[in-house]
Amino acid sequence: MKKPMIFSEFFKNNGPVMGSILMVLVGFWIIVLIVLPQLSMLDFSFRFNLPPAELGGPKDNYTLKNYKQLVYGAAGSEGTYNTVDLMVFVRTIVTAIFVTIANIIMCYPLAYYLGQSKGTSFARLLVVMLIIPYWINEILRAFALRIIFGETGLINEVLTFLHLTAEPIDFIRQNYALYAGLGYAYILLMLFPMYNVIESLDRNQIEAARDMGASWIRIHRRIVIPHAKPGIASGATMVFMLSAGALAVPQVLGGPSSLWFTQLVYQWFNDSLNWQQGSAYAIVLLFSSIAIVLTLMRIFKVNMGDIGK
Amino acid sequence: MSPKVISRLALGAYLLIFFGYLLGPLVVMSLTAFNSSGFPSVSPWACFTFEWFDVLFKDQRILNGIKNSIIIGIGTVIVSIAIGLSAALVLTQVWPKLRTTYYTIIIAPILIPGVVLGISTIVFWDRVSRLLGPSTDALFHNGIFLTILGQSTFIASYAMLIFVARLARFDPGLTEAALDLGATHTQAFRKILLPFMRPAIASAAVLAFLASFENYNTTTFTFGNYPTLTIELAQKVRYGINPSISSLAFIIVVLTVFGALAFEAYRRNTGNKERAKEGKAAPKSGGILPGFLRGNPAAVVLVLLCFTVITAVGTAQSYSPEQCKMDVRAAKQLEIDLRIEALEEKRRLRELGKTHEGPDIFGTPEVESEDKAPSSSGAFGDVFKDLEQGD
Amino acid sequence: MGAGVTVNLENVWIKFGDFVAVREANVNIKGGDFFSFLGPSGCGKTTILRAVSGFLDPSEGRVLIGGKDMAGIGPNKRPTALIFQNLALFPLMKIWENITFSMEVAGASAGDRRKRADELLDMIALSGQGDKFPSELSGGQKQRVAIARALCAEPDVLLLDEPLSALDLKLRQHMRTELREIQQRVGISFIYITHDQGEALTMSDSVAVMRAGIIDQIAGGHEIYDHPATPFVASFVGENNVFRGKLQSVNGNEAVIRTNRSGDLLAQITPTAVGKMKAGDDAMMFVRPEALALGEASPDSKTTISANVLNEEFEGNSYSVFLEGDGGKQIKMSLPNLGQDRESSKGSSLALHYDASTAVVMPAGELASE
Repeated sequence: MKKPMIFSEFFKNNGPVMGSILMVLVGFWIIVLIVLPQLSMLDFSFRFNLPPAELGGPKDNYTLKNYKQLVYGAAGSEGTYNTVDLMVFVRTIVTAIFVTIANIIMCYPLAYYLGQSKGTSFARLLVVMLIIPYWINEILRAFALRIIFGETGLINEVLTFLHLTAEPIDFIRQNYALYAGLGYAYILLMLFPMYNVIESLDRNQIEAARDMGASWIRIHRRIVIPHAKPGIASGATMVFMLSAGALAVPQVLGGPSSLWFTQLVYQWFNDSLNWQQGSAYAIVLLFSSIAIVLTLMRIFKVNMGDIGK
Repeated sequence: MSPKVISRLALGAYLLIFFGYLLGPLVVMSLTAFNSSGFPSVSPWACFTFEWFDVLFKDQRILNGIKNSIIIGIGTVIVSIAIGLSAALVLTQVWPKLRTTYYTIIIAPILIPGVVLGISTIVFWDRVSRLLGPSTDALFHNGIFLTILGQSTFIASYAMLIFVARLARFDPGLTEAALDLGATHTQAFRKILLPFMRPAIASAAVLAFLASFENYNTTTFTFGNYPTLTIELAQKVRYGINPSISSLAFIIVVLTVFGALAFEAYRRNTGNKERAKEGKAAPKSGGILPGFLRGNPAAVVLVLLCFTVITAVGTAQSYSPEQCKMDVRAAKQLEIDLRIEALEEKRRLRELGKTHEGPDIFGTPEVESEDKAPSSSGAFGDVFKDLEQGD
Repeated sequence: MGAGVTVNLENVWIKFGDFVAVREANVNIKGGDFFSFLGPSGCGKTTILRAVSGFLDPSEGRVLIGGKDMAGIGPNKRPTALIFQNLALFPLMKIWENITFSMEVAGASAGDRRKRADELLDMIALSGQGDKFPSELSGGQKQRVAIARALCAEPDVLLLDEPLSALDLKLRQHMRTELREIQQRVGISFIYITHDQGEALTMSDSVAVMRAGIIDQIAGGHEIYDHPATPFVASFVGENNVFRGKLQSVNGNEAVIRTNRSGDLLAQITPTAVGKMKAGDDAMMFVRPEALALGEASPDSKTTISANVLNEEFEGNSYSVFLEGDGGKQIKMSLPNLGQDRESSKGSSLALHYDASTAVVMPAGELASE
């Protein structure tokens, strides 16, 4: 009884033409672009990799084979775990968490500073300077770091110049470049949500607290951080999801021996042409990162509605 | 030193480090575009050159990538703006109990890893084309079609967020007033809501285009036979790098700086205009140009930047390779002099022997040095380090 | 301009979920009338207006305009024009484009529109201001533009949703006269929503007083002021002294009420309650401050109240005297300022007299909250 009423109201509010256009566009987005592709990927991950002729045939059944591959390795090696892929997975998730934490620590002081000195032309200039790297291609940003971290890159040059190191350090092989690159890639997605919430904090609150003799640490812990929590959560969610799902940065900056989980997905798709296997890996990545985000949101008592603000 | 000075210094140092981390790599990369060394680097600095730009503009794959990126970008802008605007309008009137669910669904594409979006797009349309028969293959396996849909899936969410923010300031009474005066819903949308949304649509279009242009994770699965610029760049970066990428990066950096400043100036301008229209006191400006520039650092930098670019282009045209070679020869002379000093250090002696052929490489036109393995320049790096020390 | 057209609400109920915003409204508005809905905010008067203009459908009952059932007809197809509380002038359009928006959507040429805009601008005394934007006009000017924009649509009924509430007092009083003049000139029906009794009483041919979704009384301004039908109307429209008690005796259209603190008092039964009240009923009696006069103290009189003066306030054209009757009963009296010096009567004990025809008694009920 109640549902048709909403629809009729919707069409009354928007008229038949506009109402239909809105419905069709939003419906297309949600159903055709968001829900069905994810479902078909899920379905795909439970199927065998068959030649086109056998699709729909008797062999086209559901299987857990693709997931077993991740846990136990290729068929035949039952009993042992697929340590290589599992290690890559764990490393990806753990590194993404550390990248997120590092970004929070790096961005908080700047977000606070910008939020509190809003309107001054220096602060505006800083914001414009922040926007610039934000819109530069991810690949190019990774490339820029590769130039710097290369064996003959600027950092090695400076280190040897200062006699801090005798031999050039292989930052890329040791993954320092990867960590720096991941931290670099999405740092602004942490900064801007944080900055937006801190900007909305009434300065008087801080001054009142200071007036009452609160120390700076206490002011931040009791006033600024609680106020900034939705922004921090929003930024942390984005940075974590994007880092865990990053492909460009590990491809450009990753060492030859260490892989990122998305690279495994990429290999299954583009090198092995096994889409079913790739889908299974992608599903594992998607669900585990969503689970981690939801868990953290529950722990820190943040709502979904805060994300994206 | 008072605590205030210390905290100021700490703040300054922190800002310096933060922005150094953020902008430093871009500056270094931009500089490498002008170094004739075959491997993108700032030291050793061989010779100031524009040749990498020539290499870039003759690279058919890059040019083709730019073309594909623009086509896909325009398509993505259209699709994601239409969807984002509709979704934002629906969000303002959706039943309160459904609101959170609806919001979660339409915000989800931002959080879904791009890789997953790309995969799900090709998997889904592959299935659709199998369902509908081979006649649809051409469309559903078309890289441009798939990339536009894959990118729009999440770019529409970004557009939606921009529209929601703008819509929050819209008075729905205006639409009602239009309807009451006899307008159809379509007329009310076109004549009242759309003009109001125009600034937001402009920002969303710019953002959507940039997001599409730089997207890699989704596109790398969907591009098919239409590699975008980002895909081409990734290929180049992964399989051997040369400074022509730096020159492209330099162009993009300059365009972005321009864009960011122009956008900031535009935003401030329209912000003032709108405030004036809403009946709030608009800052009076004496004379158009000073008023525009006053209190607007973005505009000031924009003007300065225009000058720099004009000068740079001017120099570029008058700049001749002959002069460059002469410069290099002069540098080489200086180098040799300094190396004699360095001879005194015994430890350096052996190294000098190793790099005995070095000066020839610098003397010959830069193109040749492109063939040299990147690692070889490491040795020269030490020499240049000494050069700097000598100065 | 369209001739006056009747508007009828037949047994209209409007519900939002479980909340009843309008309960059983029956209203007949004559063609060419200036009709007001008066009530405190949240009483459902704007909801009624939105049902007439077509932005929402009644849950039950019918809305008829010119005798035609409006069910299923959208706001853009109804012969009504609405002036919004915040005016809703289109900020991105010039004044003349605002005024002729109804012609624009009907496909009129720019030339015709411009011509019509100039005529209407003349009418609202804003000639030559057509190329400005709404933000460049003052509050009163915007007000007039909103009226011109609504009139340009040539509606049969003009609906006004508290259009003067944003203006300052002087301008509001001026616009009252102006609105009334415009209404008389164009001759169409006006339906006016307000919480300001002054506006309703000065401009309207008829007023409907609303309380929490219920229409308590529909009558002319005089009738409402002098013969309120319910305690709510009596206390919401104008100031009133209320005396609670039980009816002692009923005699035709007069009754004696035994008040809780002020003894037995005589008053007229309000017309709608004549014949429906009997001795022993809970009742309320109302006497307006200006109906009280100083009189002789006589304990037997049923139209005299004794009280002590607590305070006096000079209001310019009158004095407000605040008194305390027996048992701490608060009473207010208004004395005209006749020009001669007046000695403060603060602290003195007075006998207040009133004419029984100026006091009304009615069944007890809810009062308007202050």
